Amino acid sequence: MHALKVAGDMGARYAEARYHRIESWGASSRNGSIISGYSELSEGIAVRVLVDGVLGFASTNNLSREGVVEAVRIAVSRAKAHANIAKQAIEFSDARLGRAKYSVAPLKKFSDVDLGEKLRIHKEFWSSVSKVVQEAKVPVATLSYSEWIENKVVVNSDGAYVESFIPRISIYYNIVVHHPQKGYIQRFESFGASGGLEWLSKWNIVESSAEEAKNLEKVLLTAVEPPKESIPVVVGSEIVALIVHESCGHPSEADRILGREAAQAGKSFIKPNMIGYVIGNKNATVIDDPTIPGSYGFYLYDDEGVAARPRYLYREGVINEFLQNRATAKVFGVESNAAARAMDYASEPIVRMANTYLKPGDHRFEELLEDVKLGVYIKSYMEWNIDDERWSQRYVGLEAYLIENGELTKPVRNPVLELTTKSFYSNIDAVGKELRFYAGTCGKGEPMQGVPVWFGGPDVRLKSIRLGVIA
Amino acid sequence: MSVELDQISKLVNELIKMGFEEAAAKATLSNVVMTKIANSSVSVVQNWRRVTVDLYLAKERRIFVLRFEPKSFEELYKPVESILSMSRTVEESPIYAPLPEPSKIKYVEEVYDKSIVSGMEDIGRLAERVIEVAHRERIDSVAGMLQIGEAKTVLATSKGALLEERKTFLQSYLRAFAEPDGSGQWCFTSTSLDVKGLESMAFTASRYAVDSRNRSDIEPGVYDIILSPMVFGNLLEYIVSMATGFAVIMGWSMFMKNKPGDRVASEHLTVLDEPRNRELPNFRSFDDEALETFNKPIIENGVLKTLLHNTKTAKALNASSTANAGWISPEPWNIVVKPGNTSLDEMISEVRRGILITNNWYTRLQNYVEGIFSTVARDAIFYIENGRIVKPVSKLRIADKFTNILNNIEMIEKSLYNIQWWEVSTPSKIPYVLIRNINTSKHVI
Repeated sequence: MHALKVAGDMGARYAEARYHRIESWGASSRNGSIISGYSELSEGIAVRVLVDGVLGFASTNNLSREGVVEAVRIAVSRAKAHANIAKQAIEFSDARLGRAKYSVAPLKKFSDVDLGEKLRIHKEFWSSVSKVVQEAKVPVATLSYSEWIENKVVVNSDGAYVESFIPRISIYYNIVVHHPQKGYIQRFESFGASGGLEWLSKWNIVESSAEEAKNLEKVLLTAVEPPKESIPVVVGSEIVALIVHESCGHPSEADRILGREAAQAGKSFIKPNMIGYVIGNKNATVIDDPTIPGSYGFYLYDDEGVAARPRYLYREGVINEFLQNRATAKVFGVESNAAARAMDYASEPIVRMANTYLKPGDHRFEELLEDVKLGVYIKSYMEWNIDDERWSQRYVGLEAYLIENGELTKPVRNPVLELTTKSFYSNIDAVGKELRFYAGTCGKGEPMQGVPVWFGGPDVRLKSIRLGVIA
Repeated sequence: MSVELDQISKLVNELIKMGFEEAAAKATLSNVVMTKIANSSVSVVQNWRRVTVDLYLAKERRIFVLRFEPKSFEELYKPVESILSMSRTVEESPIYAPLPEPSKIKYVEEVYDKSIVSGMEDIGRLAERVIEVAHRERIDSVAGMLQIGEAKTVLATSKGALLEERKTFLQSYLRAFAEPDGSGQWCFTSTSLDVKGLESMAFTASRYAVDSRNRSDIEPGVYDIILSPMVFGNLLEYIVSMATGFAVIMGWSMFMKNKPGDRVASEHLTVLDEPRNRELPNFRSFDDEALETFNKPIIENGVLKTLLHNTKTAKALNASSTANAGWISPEPWNIVVKPGNTSLDEMISEVRRGILITNNWYTRLQNYVEGIFSTVARDAIFYIENGRIVKPVSKLRIADKFTNILNNIEMIEKSLYNIQWWEVSTPSKIPYVLIRNINTSKHVI
């Protein structure tokens, strides 16, 4: 609170201070043996001010009164020094600011389980993936386990006061399968959620990774090229989830639409006047919701102290709403929908997704397949990218299968789905009913900020598309 | 909190007294200011003052790496105690090797540009200058960032090393937009306040924006491709990150299949790690294990000369440290390509049917071991026919294998450019290169 007062005395029209502490612990292994353990503590204060229409940000891990005052002085004075090149004064919109305290209560606390038991997953993972592969071999499988606790207090001169406590857990692994004649196949997979150790039994990684390794071996040894003609493609929920993150969530970020990220992650195919533009058919409803319990991107108030709610970005094929913070909301003449997030105390809050997903439909998986005479089902991917306006995108399948007369048959090697955003959302002709979420760390900003997100979706069927292939 | 040699030395002694057999501590004090630019205006001015303390602890061949941002050194002892109890449960690390005996360090001649330190309050004027230079061309707007700062690092190890180094740095990049569809991006990095370098960056970005207006579509397929230093720098960063001992051990490397001495690239290509290049901000005299750094080729005339190692990966792969520690994972310091003997114009004249790509982003791999990747070309892209640039074209992807990129390099420019930006995090000196027969792709619907 002292920081806010000092900033006001120095001439700031708006001031915000965030105490932000992240404590993490983890271990990584190779072939079941622990390479190293790690522990990190990031703790400090971020100060943001609006002075003469310029946004100033300063952070410090000197938490003494003098340290914080110095951060405020730097934020204010250097913002003032830029007033002559600020073409447009930055202002903040009104918002539903919180005065609240909330925490995520894990079902099974990190402290409830001893270290030995936590480390056992590394050996069990290696044991299961290395044994299940028969004809080929797993030369390397690595696993990284992390648990972390994020504490924040956000206060600002407009009256917000929000304290939060969120524990999170994450795991990622890498499996390499090799056959002397067939070469290599490789899979990276990640898991993450808010909460505690209860997620380990939900994920059941030891079993699911073994299943995956077995399937990767089949793909490596027996996969065929995808058909060359245009065919129906059932896109697995893992890829649908990534597609909605990349081609709906990112282009809907209002700061990107206004050009604030133009030199980094780029602009957006969505222009400021495109609310109401038809981007797909009735099956295309994409929601971003920070409030999903247990989600990796969970929060109830954003880092500007604004109360969170679900955002309907595309609704039945129509561009419906952008992700806004208070500065972009002012430009668009709307209220902030609480999309401001900062990675840590050394990061400014910027417009981010939380948990983005395609609304599920009513088809069972078998129903998505049953009318397909010849098609491809792509279950997982490795390579992907999208252009900086979020229009032209590419996903390369890893585990994929031919669909013949409504049944999954042979594995398919490296099918390439390369299409535009509008083509994807306009070609969905059936939507599965099972919604699944996947964890990721979304990167954006300068300096780069990685924040935890979920992306989700059901399996969907695309009417017809020609798949490419990597030789 | 100040960061002094005697404090860090005392910390290491205390860690040994607590029961660890080996310890190393690295404290970094940094002071940085960044102006972020969008729509030719300032979008935010960011400032950082932070002290980070990194610790390496080993007991009975168990390894722990810790990072703190403490208010005082005394604050570290409590969390370290919990690591001590953890060491009883964790098993021996398969890559354990003892910290090396300290070597005699010959320091890189220091670059500490006082005008960077004094210019931090005045960075707005510098930002105004680069925006103004960019607008000397007929562009509509410019976005980007300008960052200057100073850092001091002190390092102590339980083997008796006690070292200190400081530096200043400048990094910047700009992306210029020219209606209706032109855009160009360029960057600059340095250890001193090189205003001419910034102006040249602004000019190049704007020139490419103007020249790339009114783009046409071209069909994807196999082309001869000239990559700008921005693009080649991005691809090389991926390749060099896979040329570390740790990447090979962990299965994240196309060099898992190779040994030093293998031919992995065209004979025209030599790539060096240059920690002692004082023009690039990652110059350093010692690595995190207190070994004296040295410049070395990673690939020389197309032959893999060495992976980058710390003592742990070196022991695991039967090699010697290259002084690139990282206590767990070695890393490149500054990446430099040996210049060739041709100019960009000469390169263009050698292309019958090809593309010049000036920028890219979003490089991702299908398979690290096989080096299968794609990346999205962005900003100015030009179609070349019969030795001359014919027209600007719209976005497409490079979709190929890193082995083809390396093996098909035919010409290397004689000039090098200082490259570091959002998609090239390691400071680099990179030329334009001509690569034959590279596959491109594009969306089909």
